[in-house]
Amino acid sequence: MKRVTFRTAGTRIVQYRLLVMLAAVAIFGAVSVNDFLTFDTFQSVLDRATVVGFLALGLTPVLIAGQIDLSIGSALSMAGITTIFMQPIIGNVPAALAGLAVGVLIGVINGIIVVVFKINSLVATLATLLIFASLALLVTNSYPLSSADPIFGIPLTSDLLVILTPRSAIFVAAALIMFVWLKATPSGRNLYAVGSNAPAATSAGINANAYLFMTFVISGFCAGAAGVLQSLSTAAGSPVAGAVMLIPAITAVVIGGTRLEGGRGSSLATFGGVLALGALTALLEYNGVPSYTQAVYTGLLLILLITLDRIVSGDGTTTSRTHRRGRVAPNTPSNS
Amino acid sequence: MSETTPASALRMTGISKSFPGVKALQDVNLEVRQGEVHAIVGENGAGKSTLMKILSGFYQPDEGEIEVAGEPVGHWTPREAQKRGIGMIYQELNLVPDLTVAENISLGVMPKRGPFVDYKQVTAIAKRVLEELDADIDPGTRLGNLSISQQQLVEIAKVVAKRPSIVVLDEPTSSLGDKETRILFDVIGRMRASGIAIIYISHRLQEVMEIGDRVTVLRDGRHIETRDVAGITPEQMVRLMVGRDLSEMFPKLDLELGEPVLTVNNITRVGQFEDITLEVRANEIVGLAGLVGSGRTEVARAIFGLDPVDSGEIRVKGKLVKIGTPRQGVAAGIALVPEDRKAQGIIPALSVRENFTLPVITRITNALLVLARRERGIVNGLVDRLKVNPPQIERPLNVFSGGNQQKVVLGKWLLSEPTVLILDEPTRGVDVGAKADIHEIIGEFAKAGGGVLMISSELPELLAVCDRIFVLHEGNLVAEIPRARADEESVMRAATGQVAA
Amino acid sequence: MTDLKAPVTVPGIVGARSGAGSVLGRISIPIAIVVLVVIGAVTSPSFLTPSNLLNVLNANSTVGLIALGMTFVAVCGGLADLSVPANVAMGGLIALGAQPAVGAVPAAILGLVVATLGGVVNGVLVGYLRINPIIATLGTGSVLLGLSQLVIGGGIVYGSPSAIADFVSGSALGVPIFIWIFVIVALILQPVLSRTAFGRWNLAVGGNYAAAAASAVPVRFTKGMAFVLTGFLSGLCGVLLALSNGQARPIIGTGYEFVAITAVVIGGSSLFGGRGSIIRTVGGVLITALIGNLIILIGFPTQATGLITGAIVLAAVGVDAYFRRKAGRE
Repeated sequence: MKRVTFRTAGTRIVQYRLLVMLAAVAIFGAVSVNDFLTFDTFQSVLDRATVVGFLALGLTPVLIAGQIDLSIGSALSMAGITTIFMQPIIGNVPAALAGLAVGVLIGVINGIIVVVFKINSLVATLATLLIFASLALLVTNSYPLSSADPIFGIPLTSDLLVILTPRSAIFVAAALIMFVWLKATPSGRNLYAVGSNAPAATSAGINANAYLFMTFVISGFCAGAAGVLQSLSTAAGSPVAGAVMLIPAITAVVIGGTRLEGGRGSSLATFGGVLALGALTALLEYNGVPSYTQAVYTGLLLILLITLDRIVSGDGTTTSRTHRRGRVAPNTPSNS
Repeated sequence: MSETTPASALRMTGISKSFPGVKALQDVNLEVRQGEVHAIVGENGAGKSTLMKILSGFYQPDEGEIEVAGEPVGHWTPREAQKRGIGMIYQELNLVPDLTVAENISLGVMPKRGPFVDYKQVTAIAKRVLEELDADIDPGTRLGNLSISQQQLVEIAKVVAKRPSIVVLDEPTSSLGDKETRILFDVIGRMRASGIAIIYISHRLQEVMEIGDRVTVLRDGRHIETRDVAGITPEQMVRLMVGRDLSEMFPKLDLELGEPVLTVNNITRVGQFEDITLEVRANEIVGLAGLVGSGRTEVARAIFGLDPVDSGEIRVKGKLVKIGTPRQGVAAGIALVPEDRKAQGIIPALSVRENFTLPVITRITNALLVLARRERGIVNGLVDRLKVNPPQIERPLNVFSGGNQQKVVLGKWLLSEPTVLILDEPTRGVDVGAKADIHEIIGEFAKAGGGVLMISSELPELLAVCDRIFVLHEGNLVAEIPRARADEESVMRAATGQVAA
Repeated sequence: MTDLKAPVTVPGIVGARSGAGSVLGRISIPIAIVVLVVIGAVTSPSFLTPSNLLNVLNANSTVGLIALGMTFVAVCGGLADLSVPANVAMGGLIALGAQPAVGAVPAAILGLVVATLGGVVNGVLVGYLRINPIIATLGTGSVLLGLSQLVIGGGIVYGSPSAIADFVSGSALGVPIFIWIFVIVALILQPVLSRTAFGRWNLAVGGNYAAAAASAVPVRFTKGMAFVLTGFLSGLCGVLLALSNGQARPIIGTGYEFVAITAVVIGGSSLFGGRGSIIRTVGGVLITALIGNLIILIGFPTQATGLITGAIVLAAVGVDAYFRRKAGRE
């Protein structure tokens, strides 16, 4: 009997993990830091979570489709560099658009490699991660570029409607748009189908390859947006800005509950995960915890969550009659 | 058009299809009428699935013509087939577990309101179709949460929603329990009543007798015969399917039975099976029968150690053994040839030799390294004995046919020199020639003193070779039938729960 | 769906396997090495000198050790171990940092032990709890790296001169010790993977996990051990680097996981398991080493290494996928 309650408790915690986490952070924060539970804190947390948040957002459709994109950090760096570089040449807003375009381009390249050359997304994006990280270092000669117009980006982090900033507002809007797309449009539903059982989707007339391609373009676009916002806000285009953000992005998605196997996920969940991670990071920072120790905490959290997930939902090897094949995830070598 | 003969819904004439090195179909004719349930039976490899793939537009026939509702078809593609009203329901369901029932039914053709999905319509369509099929399923449920039989109903609903004129069901009952089969037959009845032509492919001849109007027998890619079901018996069907008498197919050696080598007492696994007691003696072949879903595979896996047993005991040769992992199972002298060869039986990328020696690899090593020469010697010997064709032990296993792969799986377990050999569907997906070879090997094993526990959904097979048959029904042992009293009827009655335990 | 490829009339083999795939697989690595050597000789007079070649091998031996471990990870279907930089850092930092307390050799051993423990954690998470290896190793890597930085306070650790430091920086018979160590470990691991029961288990686990389990292979142990081994070798790499450099920082191992994975992939082992060998990885290490050297000799900026390596990985995997599809693989 005791075992049953332990298990159900665990299941509940996992299901409501976001709420549990936010509640825990709120409690610890209120106790350990003055003025933690204020609108200001919320505004700051949301704002600083925007860049990683965009990465996590772009990663969500990719994961739903059963793929993975490890190159988002490098895409961020490339987009940021492009923006800063182009500012004096074509103007501020066109430069931002150019940065976005670079993100999309990298997404297209990823899409071609995975869909046309049929190279698995894990290997493919591992390779493009290397290629574009290296390219970023090359074109900047390993030094960050300074913006010719540092003032332009400042308003991005200014106050907007008390709890938002312009850039976090863009992030929230993007999350909402993606949510509506995924939950309420045919193409969004088809995406879940592709990730859940690609052969079934194909025989229903859905062009699975087109959807896979599209998810990479989306993730490239979002990484591009992240890079643009990052570089404008810091007035610098750093070739290594994105490298450190891959792990927090994945952590945020995992916290939100999106699985790696495909077929499941939600941008709202990712948003929640981003928020929770941001809140935790803020809590640690306000308590004076240095960044490498923060890495320890977030790493432990990642492992804890995913272990709980695994224990609660079973390890997937039980011969459940209703369990069907159909994963297109990185760990199946040949897509049927 | 005559009033007594219903209109023809489908006519395939003179269909031939070859693949490199293989003639899959030769001059096959098939005619299916509206409002008819037309069964197609044949051994694995007889050409049933190739014929259906041609019907669905997946393949082009090399020769022959197809007529749907009296009109010849032009260029035939899956899209064209769907448009002409052909609906396919395969064994492997084409459903998306993570979407709802309603979304699955409308997958790919979702009604829209502007850029958004019109969920009202989606639910309405689903409700209507499910009602037509008298299926009690909530359209808003996530598909993956349903049982297999419910999922199958959704698959049927999906096909029926497109208003087909011809529906093909490929082995629809292989994952269904007996209650669920009833539901399926009801649904088929409704479809038939509404004029749909139904093609029913199955190995289960009893079902064919029950639900079919006419039956076509295929063998070796050829059309053998088409007859009214009323005018044929299962034995006759088998003879047509197989081309020879069953007793030739499964030679039964008369052996004197020894002491029990496997005794299973009251084993239970919550949710899977309950209070199972059975016994296998030396030189004996014991059958484990039951419909799919009755727990046979679960019992086998538990005895071998792949799944845990919650209570009860297992004895090998009288000695109590604790079996929690396959390694312990092997150490206790038990071997299991699994049901799903592709998923659990073979390592496709590894060579025949490496597959053969896998369970016993630690027995052919000296302290550190595998003894290569010894390994080769053992494997070559086995390959000869099992007649693996071609006898090339270094080739990867995935290039061999199903029958040869099964021989390798069987052989690797024989190599472990077990006392008890458990076989789960040992000849499924195996061609006729290999089937006979495999049964010969099983017979030899029994003769040499081993005990065999065999699970098979092919009753003729069980009836031919088993000394006793235990029957499971929904996780309980309901009958133990000795050879003398065993026939299709007695086994099926027990399997369908008509016999009190 | 009923089995399509079991027609009665055919004697057992379906779809003749194209010879091109397997032949190309076997000769492509030596050919690539030869081509690279030729390019090098043509490009620069100093390429084919013993000192340059030894230098190249020396510089890549430590990361080569990691690639050897990564081979097991790949073969058993463990995808990749992304915690390598953390284990390298741990090994190096502890090997030097603990010196004042316990002496040079015990400190080195301690560094190895801690890195191996990191591998054990990975092994448990991936092998026994069956957590996705990418996420698990990213997580443990970030925890370990953070811990290592915490311990050092973010700076550099200096080691004191010692006999063992001199030893590993030196040579024997004109060949640097690093190369000896790499060769010896490779010589030990090659038969382990291709000729022991454990090696066979790895191939089986990667080839078909469920079938391996049903064949009484200790699947969880096998998969876990691959990560333990990689943890140990990463630690060894860190210890060697730290001792020979006399200093260590947390970033000492940055990027090593990618170099290792690249070597494995270029060598022709699949990250999804079931195929691979140590010899192939050694070939992959040689190729990556030569490419790195050529980049320097030709005068490309060092940042271009990642670019070229990534491109080669894509080419190698793409070609391999193409041939395997052509060979009618199911």
